[in-house]
Amino acid sequence: MKSIDKKDVIDMLKDWTNEYHVLCPNKKINDDCIFDGFEQDHFTLDYGKLSFCLKSAFFPQSEIIFEVEDNQYHEVISSEKTILFGIRACDMMGILQSSSFMSRDYGDVYYSAKDDATIKVVMACPGPQNETCFCTTTNSGPFAEKGFDLQFFDMGEEFLVEVGSKKGKELISGELFTDIDSGDAKGKIAAFKKKASEAIPKVDEIKSVMEMLKNGVVEDEEWEEFGQKCIACGGCAFVCPTCTCFNVYDLARDGSGMRVRGWDTCLYGGFTREASMHNPRPTQGSRLKRRYEHKLKDYNEQDLQGGLCTCVGCGRCSDVCPVDIGILNLVLAISRDYKSG
Amino acid sequence: MGVNKQLKEENIYKPLPVSIVRNLPQIKDHRLFQLKIENGTTWETFSHQPGQFIEVSIFGKGEAPISISSPPTRLDTLEICVRKVGILTNALFELGKGSTFYIRGPYGRGFPIDILKGHKLLLVAGGLGLAPLRSLLLYALDKRGEFDDIILMYGTNNPDNVLFKYELLSFFDRKDIKYLYSVDKDEEGIWKQYVGVVTGLFDQTELSPDDTYAVMCGPPVMYRFVIQKLLSLGFAKDHIYVSLERMMKCGVGKCGHCAIGDKYCCTDGPVFSYPEIESIKEAI
Repeated sequence: MKSIDKKDVIDMLKDWTNEYHVLCPNKKINDDCIFDGFEQDHFTLDYGKLSFCLKSAFFPQSEIIFEVEDNQYHEVISSEKTILFGIRACDMMGILQSSSFMSRDYGDVYYSAKDDATIKVVMACPGPQNETCFCTTTNSGPFAEKGFDLQFFDMGEEFLVEVGSKKGKELISGELFTDIDSGDAKGKIAAFKKKASEAIPKVDEIKSVMEMLKNGVVEDEEWEEFGQKCIACGGCAFVCPTCTCFNVYDLARDGSGMRVRGWDTCLYGGFTREASMHNPRPTQGSRLKRRYEHKLKDYNEQDLQGGLCTCVGCGRCSDVCPVDIGILNLVLAISRDYKSG
Repeated sequence: MGVNKQLKEENIYKPLPVSIVRNLPQIKDHRLFQLKIENGTTWETFSHQPGQFIEVSIFGKGEAPISISSPPTRLDTLEICVRKVGILTNALFELGKGSTFYIRGPYGRGFPIDILKGHKLLLVAGGLGLAPLRSLLLYALDKRGEFDDIILMYGTNNPDNVLFKYELLSFFDRKDIKYLYSVDKDEEGIWKQYVGVVTGLFDQTELSPDDTYAVMCGPPVMYRFVIQKLLSLGFAKDHIYVSLERMMKCGVGKCGHCAIGDKYCCTDGPVFSYPEIESIKEAI
């Protein structure tokens, strides 16, 4: 096992930038923490839960997939040797589930090229990052079980570094890292994990609502009530680590231009509307139902990478929803409405 | 370092150029396009199954899922029957003989030929729903010995909107297919067959549910009524198949637009057995 002094982390990142594009938390305007290219003057370890998950590293908000010239399609597959430093465990689970989804049946070259070129460094959480964290309920934190190349544990003055892959091991072979007694370190990490897990409140309603949805007891009227509030901004989907729906559109002039794919969401009315104008999900309630059944019901037979469901407990949908129908308020309401019945 | 732009083979989103061999008007706003692959290879390598679909791609207009209307037993051209209804199909209708556009596919799970073989086949189509069913119908007719009785029920809203008119008329000369045609309304009084909704056709013939598989495709409103009818006649649920329509944007189970509960219409369907979708409320 190895460790690194906190004061040496900046030098470590600087070293890594020689060979990799290093994405990490930077404190920017308004003290907002943004996950982007390493900047020595802005880098911070005090970043809590980032407002955005890291899916855009593999699945950008919009991405050119073909350049088209005189109606000839030339594919554009962008990828770059990248290190993601400081991934939270919930986001690591999001990456694992999304990678599994994007490679099932048919591989998605745009996603996998970036996924393959990226080294994942997880920062285990010592406790909840804000009041909406519930990763212990969804088996997706506060530390990662797999998927990472390296995982950092904060011990105050230093980080203990757990190796998850060969690539990860090579990254910490430099002199900034100190060899330490493995038995001793394992004990410290175990204590860290126990304390961290106990500090994060469980949300039992997640499991009870999953059961209710599975049994089909939640009526459409309930969803329509939530639908009355929903302003269809799509915020919950865009910050969600496991929302990977997209649309494809062309930017064209005279047969040349580009074919682009960009984030889309099932909360938008046009998402399922067919050319005939028939819409299988005609109401906002039915669209909200879709989104939450996706997270809590429909995909639970699939490859969840050890998670409970396709919600990873990051709580961001609850953080951003302007009308308080993020997953936490939603499961509390459903569980209240259907408890006795 | 720096962004690495590379060209790579095996990109599922890369479309293939095809050209229009013939462009045959069917009824108002509906045309049958016969296609050939631009680079001279045959449709044999494309190897589609009845009931599958393609993504039609016209740069600047996007992509749209269109079902394949021709069977793999007729590989001179690939046929798609298209209604002019959206941005892409409007652009497609601007293209004439010899014009080039792009496709991807074939995609989806088509009709379960191996299960259907050796049995009686009841095809129930409404309107443009005949387009995907035609690939199965012609397949079964081309391999007539492999199937028992073939019954086609086809309903349209009025006598002007009958697709594949001459093909349907040609069945009058055949003894090995039973056909029942209906129109919802016949204001001019010219329709010689049944007038009423397609389910009314079930009263016009004897069916033997035990050894018949029913396969249907039509407008959204049709499914529930036809399924009810079949169940009331004693059809087992697993003898009923539906071909569903959704906004299948990518065709390969990634974009999420066509999800139906825990299934994706584009990869798990578009053909589903009734038990597979029975408990999914939003399916039909």
